[in-house]
Amino acid sequence: MTGLRILVVDDEPQIHRFLTAALEASGYVVLRAETGAAALHQIANAAPDLVVLDLGLPDMDGKEVLAKARNFTKVPVIILSAREREAEKIAALDLGADDYVEKPFAVGELLARMRAALRHKNSGELEKTRVESRGLVVDMDKRLVTKDGTSLKLTPREYDLLCVLAKNAGRVVTHSHILTAVWGPAHKEDTQYLRVFIGQLRAKIESGNSDKPFIQTETGIGYRFMLDA
Amino acid sequence: MAIDRNQDRRPDPDALLALSAQENRGHLWVFLGAAPGVGKTYAMLQRARASKLDGVDVVIGLVETHGRAETQALIDGLEILPRKTIVLEGRSVEEFDLDGALKRKPKLIIVDELAHTNAPESRHPKRWQDVEELLDAKIDVWTALNIQHLESLADVVARITGVVVRETVPDTVLRDANDIVLVDITSHELIRRLKEGKVYLPETAKKAQQNFFTLRNLTALRELALRRTAARVDDEMIEQLRQGAVQGPWETAERLLVCVGPDLLSQEVVRVASRLATGLNAGWVAVTVERLDASTNLESAKRLDEIFRLAKRLGGEVTRLMGNDVPAELLKYAQQENITQIVVGRSFAGFWKRLQGRSLSDALVRRAEQIGIHVIPGTASPDKPRKLRLRLGGLATGLIAAPLSVAGAVIAGQSLNFWLKLPNVSMIFLIAVLFCAVRFGLRSAILASFLSFLAYDFFFIEPLYRFTIDEPHEFFALLIFLGVAILVGWQTGAARDQSQFARENARNTLSIFELSRKLSGAVELSEILDAATVYAQKTLMARCVIMLLPQDDHLELAAAWPPVDALDAGEISASRWAFEKGEAAGWKTGTLPSVRFQFRPLVTTRGVVGVCGLQPADESQAILPSQERALALILEQTAIAVDRAILVKHSVHAVALEENEKLRTVLLASLSHDLRTPLASITGAVTTLQQFGESMPPAQSRDLLNSIEEEAGRLSRFIANLLDMSRIEAGALRPKKDFFEIGEIVFSATERTRKVFPSLEISTSLAPQLPLVRGDAHLLGQVLFNLLDNAQKYGGGGKVSIHARLVAHHVRLSVTDEGAGLKPADLERVFEKFYQGGRPDGRKAGTGLGLSICRGLVEAMGGKIWAESPAARRRGTRIIIELPLANALPVKEAP
Repeated sequence: MTGLRILVVDDEPQIHRFLTAALEASGYVVLRAETGAAALHQIANAAPDLVVLDLGLPDMDGKEVLAKARNFTKVPVIILSAREREAEKIAALDLGADDYVEKPFAVGELLARMRAALRHKNSGELEKTRVESRGLVVDMDKRLVTKDGTSLKLTPREYDLLCVLAKNAGRVVTHSHILTAVWGPAHKEDTQYLRVFIGQLRAKIESGNSDKPFIQTETGIGYRFMLDA
Repeated sequence: MAIDRNQDRRPDPDALLALSAQENRGHLWVFLGAAPGVGKTYAMLQRARASKLDGVDVVIGLVETHGRAETQALIDGLEILPRKTIVLEGRSVEEFDLDGALKRKPKLIIVDELAHTNAPESRHPKRWQDVEELLDAKIDVWTALNIQHLESLADVVARITGVVVRETVPDTVLRDANDIVLVDITSHELIRRLKEGKVYLPETAKKAQQNFFTLRNLTALRELALRRTAARVDDEMIEQLRQGAVQGPWETAERLLVCVGPDLLSQEVVRVASRLATGLNAGWVAVTVERLDASTNLESAKRLDEIFRLAKRLGGEVTRLMGNDVPAELLKYAQQENITQIVVGRSFAGFWKRLQGRSLSDALVRRAEQIGIHVIPGTASPDKPRKLRLRLGGLATGLIAAPLSVAGAVIAGQSLNFWLKLPNVSMIFLIAVLFCAVRFGLRSAILASFLSFLAYDFFFIEPLYRFTIDEPHEFFALLIFLGVAILVGWQTGAARDQSQFARENARNTLSIFELSRKLSGAVELSEILDAATVYAQKTLMARCVIMLLPQDDHLELAAAWPPVDALDAGEISASRWAFEKGEAAGWKTGTLPSVRFQFRPLVTTRGVVGVCGLQPADESQAILPSQERALALILEQTAIAVDRAILVKHSVHAVALEENEKLRTVLLASLSHDLRTPLASITGAVTTLQQFGESMPPAQSRDLLNSIEEEAGRLSRFIANLLDMSRIEAGALRPKKDFFEIGEIVFSATERTRKVFPSLEISTSLAPQLPLVRGDAHLLGQVLFNLLDNAQKYGGGGKVSIHARLVAHHVRLSVTDEGAGLKPADLERVFEKFYQGGRPDGRKAGTGLGLSICRGLVEAMGGKIWAESPAARRRGTRIIIELPLANALPVKEAP
């Protein structure tokens, strides 16, 4: 861990207290902001490598901070939010947040999400063409999917679906993002397609190990292609 | 219309509609017989047994076997509904149990003797009304009826047999029956059975009945029964043709109009018309014309009321028309309603008019076009003497005034003649006629005209003081005078009567306007009901008017004028009936007529909102048409106002609910924030320690452990607050009544606060020798802690001071901070639940519970709490608590 700079935006000093300790212990440099205005100022001037953003801020909505930040930067953003606020999370993800963590959370989980987001950012410029996870290989150059060396027969739709998830491996992809990418913008709301095709895709690629699925459901929000953690 | 229908050969919509309306009711089968003993009950039971074998759910509601073995045998094995026993003046009477039947709700019920009259106090006076209710409840009914009990035939039967039938069944019941089964044996056979003792006759009626059972009588009754059934079968065929859209010459399209009035003949006219209509298979309507210029008297209104009810029972419609030209109104109505024949009684006209050849029947015959006129001669003697007396009563003053004013004119003419010779004294008589016309109306004016004519002749025309006339031209002048006098008197009198009527109308309109103004001004339901009740009582001159509104599952007495305490059981069930069925019940109706009140539903487009009960001043009085109109208006206006008030109440309730909903949302948001933030901190700190604890500098891990402790404390305080709040809300707070020292509490609260917020500077200043306070030390400590917590949050982290001193039998305790203070508007609002003021650092405020809990706790201890701001030097907030001293507290043991 090489001194990457993380901006933590939260109005509760208690959150900063342990996050600072944990992030510093992991080798990050921690910047802090307690209001939306301060956060935007820091993002613009200090150019952090990643932002951890609480959605409930005293001066403005976290989503607003995100939307403004996205006007001038592609810095990865991880949202901190309450579990029951699904709509808020989806909105934030659609606004360009990279991932989210539900409060209360274990530090290990946040750190894992941060690593995934940072990794994606680093490889982000080059389009990923090959994703491998626990024996499952998605080779987008050859349009080939193999599992433990044997190639799998996927329909074109199933393949497209898997590609969208694999390209964002490790990150959550919202329903509407997947639907727009695979079926087109007209089908943005048709989550029932998605459930059917995800079911088919899972039947073909999952090995029956329900503890560690390749495609994880983020209830109410979307799906995540899991890399080996 | 008829041609169109035939062309596309569609089923007649009306016929289909009638069919579907029937399907929503139970089916009625009437077993019709010519006389008792023909075997109706036997036939009915035989069929019932057959149905039972077919698996139909048959129950015997009521059948009289009269001890006949063969009938009894038929009943065995069928389910019998227990009868209801009613105790009447010491005798117990067994009646059909209508409520029992409705509760049992069989597919088919058998109820014998349709014409039976129920015991007084029953819900309906007549059994056929019970049957109607069963049909409404979709229960099929089989019943038996003798032809002599049919309303329209009652007078015919009386004429044939000489026995007056008292128990009658309206023709509508038979008309609306789904099927009629004729049970017929020959008259000889019946007489034979009678002689064999097979026909049951009650002991008391035996002699009368013996006279009844003659061959002649029975044959006539049999013919009536056969004819009625045949007519019915004919109707059914036509109905089927119409429903099936079969072309045929079935369209009779006859429609009868029956002219009725308050005279005695009208009753007979109605009966004849109904039979005529049955024969013609035609619909009919009984019409009366109310003269605009005649005030209705009670007696005739009552009689008209009876005639209308008879017409309805006989299956006719009824209509009231208004106008002065009776035949013209009738003919206009006839034209509008496509009437083909008019039935009118011959004596239906005053003596005077008949003298002129202007009786109603004559006028109708002369003026009707393309309409047949039936004139019924009538046997009833016209009610002359009474009529005359009534008229005299009403006109007495006018008729006395006429000769007096003519006498006045004579005196005036004579004296004027004495001084100066007037060329035309007749003018003075015209003044007398005009005076009578204006003051006393038409009749008085006409009398005055004739008297003037005679007096003028007698006193002023040569030869004087004799009724003879010498000069022919004088004679003509006199005749012309009479003509002019009558004409002028007529016109003026008529104008006066009309204007009087108009005034009365205007008065009615004005008073209705007054009511509607009152009603629309009233917002509260009780105001509306009181206004309507008082108004209705006055307008209808009723003994008492009450209003009932539904409350949970019963009707509640909402207003009464004059006041009434409670209703008896009969009144309650009649009001319920009116409410549930949306029909009038009680006095003068078909349901529970023995009840003192008549209950009318208050109907709006959204349904029945309540019931108005009306107790007449005199039980035998009729409701006049004008009163009926007024009542309808009052009920309508009241119903609308009540409906509006209920809607307003609902909307207020909805606003309250919405407010509640908002509170809940705030509570949820607050809960989620205040619970989650400490939890997130604890989880985060714990997991950080787990993951990096070993590699961390010891100072940092100690800090994390501290933060866990602090956050756990915060969580526990929040939960304690929530519990306190819910205890206050639930009224479960029972403060102890201990004696304690203020100083002690202040000390422990400051200690506790210092532990949690070490940075807060707290100074205390207590007056020396404060007396003991009685209350709950623990709760007061909680209050003080909350106040100090607030001071720490909002006081800008500065200093807090606590003061305590004695103020007139109270201990006054105050907590003052040095923060920005409160806005005047917030001084009271901060004590509201979930009211969240802003924090000076712009961060989220607390739960909005702290101060409202303080207030709850202090008030539970019998104290007061309020806020003052600014406290000193334009800054700071001071919260003041006043607690009663131990000896000032009312001595009351805690439960």
